[in-house]
Amino acid sequence: MAISDVKEYAHLTEEEVDQLGRELDAIRAEIEESRGEKDAAYINRLIKIQRALAAAGRVTLMAGTQSSRTRKPAVALGVAFLALHKILENMEIGHNVMHGQWDWMNDPEIHSSNWEWDTAQPAEQWKHSHNYIHHQFTNVLGYDNDIGYGILRMAREQKWTPYNIGQPVYNSLLAFLFEWGVALHDLDIERIRKGEKDPKEMKRQLKQIFRKGRNQILKDYVVYPALAGRQWKTVLAANATSNVIRNLWAYVIIFCGHFPDGAMHFTEEEIEDESRAEWYLRQILGAANFNGGPLLHIMSGNLGFQIEHHLYPDLPSNRYAQISEKVKELCAKYDLPYTTGPLHQQYGQALRTIIKLSLPNSWTSSDTPEPPSPSRERKRRTDDERPSRRRELGGWSRNGASARA
Amino acid sequence: MRTDKAWVIQCALSRICGFCTESLGRPIAFVGTREEIARNAFHVPPMHQSCAQELMRGPEADRDWRIVLTSGFEFVRPAREDADRRPTYQPNSLLPS
Repeated sequence: MAISDVKEYAHLTEEEVDQLGRELDAIRAEIEESRGEKDAAYINRLIKIQRALAAAGRVTLMAGTQSSRTRKPAVALGVAFLALHKILENMEIGHNVMHGQWDWMNDPEIHSSNWEWDTAQPAEQWKHSHNYIHHQFTNVLGYDNDIGYGILRMAREQKWTPYNIGQPVYNSLLAFLFEWGVALHDLDIERIRKGEKDPKEMKRQLKQIFRKGRNQILKDYVVYPALAGRQWKTVLAANATSNVIRNLWAYVIIFCGHFPDGAMHFTEEEIEDESRAEWYLRQILGAANFNGGPLLHIMSGNLGFQIEHHLYPDLPSNRYAQISEKVKELCAKYDLPYTTGPLHQQYGQALRTIIKLSLPNSWTSSDTPEPPSPSRERKRRTDDERPSRRRELGGWSRNGASARA
Repeated sequence: MRTDKAWVIQCALSRICGFCTESLGRPIAFVGTREEIARNAFHVPPMHQSCAQELMRGPEADRDWRIVLTSGFEFVRPAREDADRRPTYQPNSLLPS
């Protein structure tokens, strides 16, 4: 179900939404004031661990594969080290650094303007497609291209076509090749298909993707295998395996952020002249968390706290656990849903949606839960009384070359 | 230079220079009036230091404008009760200019 009026859906008055906004502002202010050395030590320590894992992985694969006695354990260990390095670098370090979470440190390297991550998508394009399009237009149908990544139908409001029957297959391909799917994300394939993409901008983006993709391929599939001499095939296969492990992990974590039951979609009316408090509210309703221990949260870039990440995308990720306690309390206070559950449950729901929405709406039923009832008397309309509009995806892209003029 | 709301938001989140539209560097420069500097809340998008200097030399420049350098900033959307309903940039790690 897509929501056209978030306040009405959440059964809150304008004053209540403003008060919620002030309380969320206070949480932000508290973290900003206490941000300091301990946080800096955290990210520096994590980068050291990630780099040590990368070095250990490369050395283990190069040296350990030379003898037939050590080859099998070296491959297993090397793949594990490399996959962990890539997951940490992409999820907890790269993604969060590019949000500007650590810019306040004034570190010449750990800064949103400098960081280039170990994946095929150029950082500049990620900052546009993710930081801007996805975080500004979170779950707004027709604007947020993360709703199904332009290839999957993820909301009942999206028009069904026979193409959608293949969703389970497209989904599997996307999971295994996630790095390359993300690399093409900012191109906005749908606009290219419709002939709406600025050719100059497309050419510029394609050049960037080609350069970045070429370097990634050279590193993992040419240079490091070549350094292993006669064992080049073993190292190449190990590097490919570590990339696939990273792809599958990143895919699962990202799909758990907005596709489990309870994460709502919105129509474009909602974002017109939205205040800060209304924007906060939309982030809470549009995101979903998952539960887990500290290690799971670090390995998932703290995106198990997706709600907190969407409320405060530029606050240090190591603080999301602390913030989540307060956000949960606020959601209970204002009778707002706080969508969370175990990782397997959240992913299971996302997968069920993918499979269900491969079929026309009339063949399946909606799994969207009703929001919790207000604890005090408030007038609320039924779903049938709420207006919602059918929108197709892919209507948004960067301003293109005209913005650069 | 564009200062409409959509562009201000895009520059903030995509972390691009509002003047040349390329990726921001470090330090990040803001151009603002004395009042904006005193409130630590700027309306014009972030820029490269060299782009800010070029803007200051240009025909649109105001005598009252100053350049402020920072390593990072918070992007603050307006609240409903704010008299000024424009989003602001609030530098969080000021550097000597």
